[in-house]
Order: sequence, then C-alpha cells, then structure tokens
Amino acid sequence: MATTTAAITLTSDLLSDALSVSTTTTCMKAGTIADGLTQMDTGYIEIATGDVYDILDATALNLDKANKVYICNESTDETYFVEVTVKAEVIGSLYAGDWMFIPWGAESATSDIGLEAKTGTNKITYTLFHEGRTLTAS
Amino acid sequence: MATTATITLSSDIMSTYGSGYNKTMTMTKAGTVTDLEETTGFSRRKLAATTAVDLITMADAQLLVETAATGAAKVFVQNVGDGKGTVDKSTFVTISIGDTGGTPQPIGRLYGGDWLLMPVTGNDNKDVVATPSTNDAVVLEYVMFFEI
Repeated sequence: MATTTAAITLTSDLLSDALSVSTTTTCMKAGTIADGLTQMDTGYIEIATGDVYDILDATALNLDKANKVYICNESTDETYFVEVTVKAEVIGSLYAGDWMFIPWGAESATSDIGLEAKTGTNKITYTLFHEGRTLTAS
Repeated sequence: MATTATITLSSDIMSTYGSGYNKTMTMTKAGTVTDLEETTGFSRRKLAATTAVDLITMADAQLLVETAATGAAKVFVQNVGDGKGTVDKSTFVTISIGDTGGTPQPIGRLYGGDWLLMPVTGNDNKDVVATPSTNDAVVLEYVMFFEI
C-alpha cells in the first residue's frame, strides 16, 4: 500500500497555559481503511499581483474523493499574499510563509482550487495527493 | 506571544519526493510580522446527526470579539473519531465555508483521524460548517487563531 502521512505540531502561548497539539494522519482513499492514496501532483509557480489561476482543476478528477492538498506561500515579503478560493468562493488568505493542508472533496467538476495574488509576485508550492483522474488522450 | 504550526509530509508514492516536506509557519496578522493575538481556545464537539452545524460562527458573540473581515485567521480541525477511542476511516465529516442557512461551499471530507489547517476570512456568514456523513457519534477538535 502506498503510504502518505501528514503530521502537524501546533503550539501557542496565547492561553494561560501553553497549547501544544501533535497528530498524524495516514491519507487513505475515500471510505477505505486499507488503501492509501496512490497518485500525486506537485509544483511551483509564481503568481503576480492581480493574476488569478485555478491552481488545481477538478474537471478531470474523480469526484467526492479523499484528496489532500498542501499549498505554501514561499514568499518572504510579509506584505505578499494570495487569496485562496474553492469553486470561486474565497476561503482565506495565505500570507508570505503561510501554508495550508486541507481535504479536497472535489464535489463537482467546477470545484477548482484557485489563487489570486493580491500583492507582490507570490512564490507558491503545492502538492495534491489524489485517487486518480481522467487522463486526456494525446 | 507566538502561534506556530509545523507540517511534516511524507509519501512513498513518488520516489523523487524523497524524505518528504517539512515547513513551519508563525501565524501573523495580515501583511505584518506581528503575531496573531486572539484565539477561540481549543474546543471539542460531538456530533451525532447528518445535520450541518456551525463549528465556528464568525459573528457569534461567543468569540467575545468580532473577527476582522480583512484580517488573517487560521483554523485547525481534526476528526478524532467517536471520542471513545474508535477512529473510523470509512466515515467522514464534510467541512464547508458559509452559512448553514444558505449553501455552504464544501471544502473536503475529514475522515477519521484526518485533520486540516487552513486560512479563513473573518467575514460574517463565512462560518466553518461541519456535516457528518452518518448519524454515528463523531467528535471534532478545533481551534481558530485570528485578529480583530
């Protein structure tokens, strides 16, 4: 079985006692306990101010699956950021140095994950772990 | 006052992925190097119906302060199973952004043990919504860090 794991350690001293959460999950195919995700796409792009891209296209993906997405804004200028959208709905902003890790159900062919650079030329790395897609014949 | 999150990704799907990926971020206010100063605190909620519920309501007085609509905010959510030690990888909770009174935009499915960390906006009606796939008990643990 292909094995993909995602671990997080979250710490904060905002509370009166320190918060520390550590957990790991093994990324499985939808609804299974024995089959790990088997395919992945990874990349690096630069997105300049005002540019809007669908960084991950749901069109050819199998729908309603257990895909996982990692996106990081590798920019170092703290004023740089991108807005992240799912199906054109803004969910939040990734500032320089920020990363996100989410499940992506791709519940419809238009549930693309998009980015819009709001300031600066943002350096974005991303990885999609998934169950497969319909490949385009050449 | 700092909040940090470190992710470690590893996979043997692609040999060139090597030993994986490790990244730490310090959560800061929008466009600055100033640390986020507000949090909901760490919370736990048991759900036992397929009804959509607001896990975090941006306009809710329970936050004591209003989230900034143009600020930075991050949410962590984990599906920890039934809360009694059983973690079911075959059932899930759909996490969406929006208002349960409308049509929240699904993000994805948190199967048993799965977690997410994502940015959110502080906009009213951009709540974090959870919808279990079954009527079986499932427990979510979550926290939001934000600015006002």
